[in-house]
Amino acid sequence: MTILIVLLSLAAGAYFLAVIERWAVHGHLSLSGPAWAALALLGRESVLARKPDRLFFETGPVLLLVAGLMAAAVIPLAPGLIITDLATGALFLNAALAYVLVALIMAGWGPNGAYSMIAGWRFLGQFIAYAMLIVMPITAVAMRAESLSTTVIVTSQAQLWNALYQPIGFVLFVIAAIGLAWLPPLDLPDATGELAGGVEAEYTGVRLAVLRLGRLVVILALAGATVTFYLGGWLGPWLPPAAWSAIKTLIVAALMLSAGRYLPRIREERYLALSWKLGVSLALANIFLVGVIALVVPI
Amino acid sequence: MTGMTAQMVFLAFFGVAAVWFGIVVFRTRSMVRSALALLFSQTAIGVMFLVMQAEFLGVLQIMMMATEMSVMAIFMVMFMMDPGGMGEMNMTHQKRLSLWVGGIGLLAALAVVLLPDWGLVATSVPSAQAQAEDLGRELLSRSMLIFQSAGLTILTAMVAATMVAIVPNAEQRK
Repeated sequence: MTILIVLLSLAAGAYFLAVIERWAVHGHLSLSGPAWAALALLGRESVLARKPDRLFFETGPVLLLVAGLMAAAVIPLAPGLIITDLATGALFLNAALAYVLVALIMAGWGPNGAYSMIAGWRFLGQFIAYAMLIVMPITAVAMRAESLSTTVIVTSQAQLWNALYQPIGFVLFVIAAIGLAWLPPLDLPDATGELAGGVEAEYTGVRLAVLRLGRLVVILALAGATVTFYLGGWLGPWLPPAAWSAIKTLIVAALMLSAGRYLPRIREERYLALSWKLGVSLALANIFLVGVIALVVPI
Repeated sequence: MTGMTAQMVFLAFFGVAAVWFGIVVFRTRSMVRSALALLFSQTAIGVMFLVMQAEFLGVLQIMMMATEMSVMAIFMVMFMMDPGGMGEMNMTHQKRLSLWVGGIGLLAALAVVLLPDWGLVATSVPSAQAQAEDLGRELLSRSMLIFQSAGLTILTAMVAATMVAIVPNAEQRK
């Protein structure tokens, strides 16, 4: 039952995101747009490249969707409303999201096309930039909660949200999450203009639909993770817990999607340099600061 | 009892999967397939940890291998002549030596498994939370030196690998 509720809310969330993404990319708000686009994709011919690595070509989109679903499995929507409350939930989330990279490399390599292959490897480069900045802020979050369980992490923020308790980690995590979901301004692996859609370039029909759905689920999981780790999860006055989770997650996701509308794209080598020279130092400082605060003023 | 048997079935299944993917590593000519087969072999081992209720170790294994093997894949693509395996090139060499080394390694591993007296098998499993805590204490006490030196060694290897990758480019620019 819980699983069904979580999956249904994921589906609804993904649809909402598709509406927002349409607005962020094309500039017009249409509620029925994604439904027609999805129907069109399902009805369209599935073109196969001439000499593809068939195994990778078929597995890539599915693996992306599975990775997103696995990540969503440890995100609590309300007390008890979580697919599996692992004692190592925060680590499991990382593990699941690591397979986004594997899926994109497979999907990039599979069709045996130059554009998609470059995009797949480019995402690997981007991964080197964001990976540490996903893990290290989560370390600081787990330090405060003294647990890796996502539900304990939420309840540890009853006094003060982590976004205020450790703002450096919050900012680093959100930027890294945008990189992980290859959203603009960090969407060069996709590179609509330059690589003809990058990893998506050779996909059509149902496979493209799965790939896009997978990406929406990944974005949703990342927004959910941001809410769980930094914005107090289901905590909030008046409304029921699940409503707070939904509102916060959708707002974060909408903000992540609309960032690209107002920011210039960043080349991946510049992103890499910034992430390692500035980002990792800040993340280390964040861990140190949180450690000191946790020892001196336990809230 | 049924829980125990299910555990054994899953353990055996993922054990066989790990070995099978290990064999695939050498059967395919595509470097990317080879690297990702190794990844799924290691993931299967991670799932074996999960089946044996070592949650932290399992999740860690599954996470680390995804990133490591992907990075390895790009190094294999960079350094091999026929990364896609479409040119039907034979990428193996020193077969006799490899067979001997592999055979001796297998015997050594079997000896480690079978010969020592492993003592009592754990009768109860600590909770996943307790396991993570125990591991943390272990890493920051008795095993700290080992892990820190391992970390340093890996860092050195990373720097060396990066240098190997960039030197030819610098020469081309001269």
